[in-house]
Amino acid sequence: MTLIARRLAGHLARGLVMILVVATITFFIVNNIPGDPMAAQYEKLIEGGMSPNAAAQAVKVLYGFQPDGTLWQQYLDYVSGLFRLDLGVSVTRPGTPVLDVLTEAAKWTVLPVLAGTLLSFLVGIILGVFAAIRRTGKLGDALAISGSLLHGIPQYVLAMLLVVIFATLIPILPADGSVDILYEPGFNAGYLGSLAEHAVLPVLTYALSAYGGWILAMKSSVVTVLGDDFILAAELRGVKRSIVFRYIARNAILPLFTMLALSLGLLLGGAVFIEKIFNYPGLGWLLIGSVQDRDYALMSGAFLLITVATILANIVADLFYTVIDPRVRSGEEAS
Amino acid sequence: MVDQAPGVRIDGLTVVYKTPAGELPAVRGVSLTLEPGSITGIVGESGSGKSTLALSLLNAVQPPGRIAAGSVEIDGLGDVVGLAGEQLRKARGKHIGYVFQAAQNSLNPLKTVGKQLLDLGRSHGVEDLRGLVREAQELLARMGLDGARVLDSHQHELSGGMRQRVGIMLALVLNAHVVVLDEPTTALDMITQANILKIVREVHAERGLTTLVITHDIGVVAEVADRLAVMYGGRLVEQGPTRKVLGAPRHPYTKGLIRAIPRLTGDIGEARALPGRPPTLATVPKEGCVFRERCELRMDVCDTVDPDAVTHGGRTVACHAVSVKEHA
Repeated sequence: MTLIARRLAGHLARGLVMILVVATITFFIVNNIPGDPMAAQYEKLIEGGMSPNAAAQAVKVLYGFQPDGTLWQQYLDYVSGLFRLDLGVSVTRPGTPVLDVLTEAAKWTVLPVLAGTLLSFLVGIILGVFAAIRRTGKLGDALAISGSLLHGIPQYVLAMLLVVIFATLIPILPADGSVDILYEPGFNAGYLGSLAEHAVLPVLTYALSAYGGWILAMKSSVVTVLGDDFILAAELRGVKRSIVFRYIARNAILPLFTMLALSLGLLLGGAVFIEKIFNYPGLGWLLIGSVQDRDYALMSGAFLLITVATILANIVADLFYTVIDPRVRSGEEAS
Repeated sequence: MVDQAPGVRIDGLTVVYKTPAGELPAVRGVSLTLEPGSITGIVGESGSGKSTLALSLLNAVQPPGRIAAGSVEIDGLGDVVGLAGEQLRKARGKHIGYVFQAAQNSLNPLKTVGKQLLDLGRSHGVEDLRGLVREAQELLARMGLDGARVLDSHQHELSGGMRQRVGIMLALVLNAHVVVLDEPTTALDMITQANILKIVREVHAERGLTTLVITHDIGVVAEVADRLAVMYGGRLVEQGPTRKVLGAPRHPYTKGLIRAIPRLTGDIGEARALPGRPPTLATVPKEGCVFRERCELRMDVCDTVDPDAVTHGGRTVACHAVSVKEHA
């Protein structure tokens, strides 16, 4: 247990440094994007007849920071805010902390992405085993081709295809939005049903576009393990097929866990196109909106969240290996 | 402790591999008898078909290969070639033990040796698993290892020599009496090689086994085997008692092999490599003697007629030149 704790501490320290580096880079990039909502607002107030001092005061009250501070000063404020989990205040939603906006949007991204990824992972690895075992037959070919095909179609094309098929040609599912407004939010059948109905196409998009990667990765992993001597050795010792199958599956799935953890981290940011197409109010949708509005605080916050998610996913993947792979475990003990 | 060691009779065994050029034989018409309680060594270069032959003993030739003809009769088990499914699975491990090359990873890297031992026991319906573990520990102790520690280890925590002993333990723990060792000392250092060979000899005698050792190292065969069989291009070209074959080789290939061994004393130049290279699956001649391309005794008849294996005084040789000499 101390081993895992030691690893965790090391990872967290490294992760913190990485987060700071990324926060710094995004802060300066975001603040160098052409266009300036503060200045725009400030000028608008002056044009409205306010004195420059009053306008500056009003902007300061509205957004909670001084638009005339140097970039360096703003950066220091931003970083010191980060340590208090204060990501600043949204520019386009005056008075709303960025953190609140992000957490509100995050639930619309996390659940569908999680559902889609886990679904595709499960289906992909199971079919991947069959694709590997039957790789010389028609079933194996069909599975591999289905994997390559879906893997090759860009996510947004797939999303639009699904919309055309299931919302236009056969209108059985809603094309966009997250829920019908005619239902009272809460635990009632109408609201939950509407939620589920709206989630089907985004989840299906995530699942279908990721499925190809899983099936191909699992297939090649299983083929590699099948060629390993210990599988033949177990067969030659007369070990039962079901046990040999477990040997194969456990060894083959090992490298896929890293991919799973990483893809979960990345999908928080990768949902941009999908959420835009389905008009789904998640993080990706929020990110696009914030870029269009030059909402620096929100943009930086969203980028930061994606960074943190990716780094956390890495840490989780690594710790997970310590638990499931004895070679990683003892490698650490030796050092 | 010593049960009656079973005999093994391989008769007319042919194993073919499916290739784009059709089915090509890796082992052709091999007949070999393993006397009960004997150690037989098979030597040959890479690609001579010796490993394929070893796998045939367990009816475990891997696709795209298959046993096309012949039989492998094992006392108390019958013809292995005729076994399939559950019967075959149960025969493996229980009647015939197979020991992999040490350099190959014959253990599941994610499980301890002990857990894999239990998997093996459960697969073969062993009810007394504690007894199985005890037996395994005794075997490991017999081979100079700390049984409890080894059973608690993963593959990566064991050295090559230790792995090889674990392999031998797993092959014997279910009380198999026919044991096949495929390159048992390859990739081990000299001291460990000597240890493993000593263990093979001793365990063989103690448990009353019938043992087949596959190797490319004539030294290994000289060390452990009672009988020696030489393979070339999928054919058994010579067999007989180890001392006689090594002392007075008859087949030109065996002669060449022995001449190619460098001596500890004397000029290194005395060792002469056999000219040419061994045939591959695709280049094995379809008719005539498989060795004629590299043979110094080549005659016209060698190009067209495959020499029969002729047995004479406990020794078998498949060579036109040799039988001509003997009959003359």
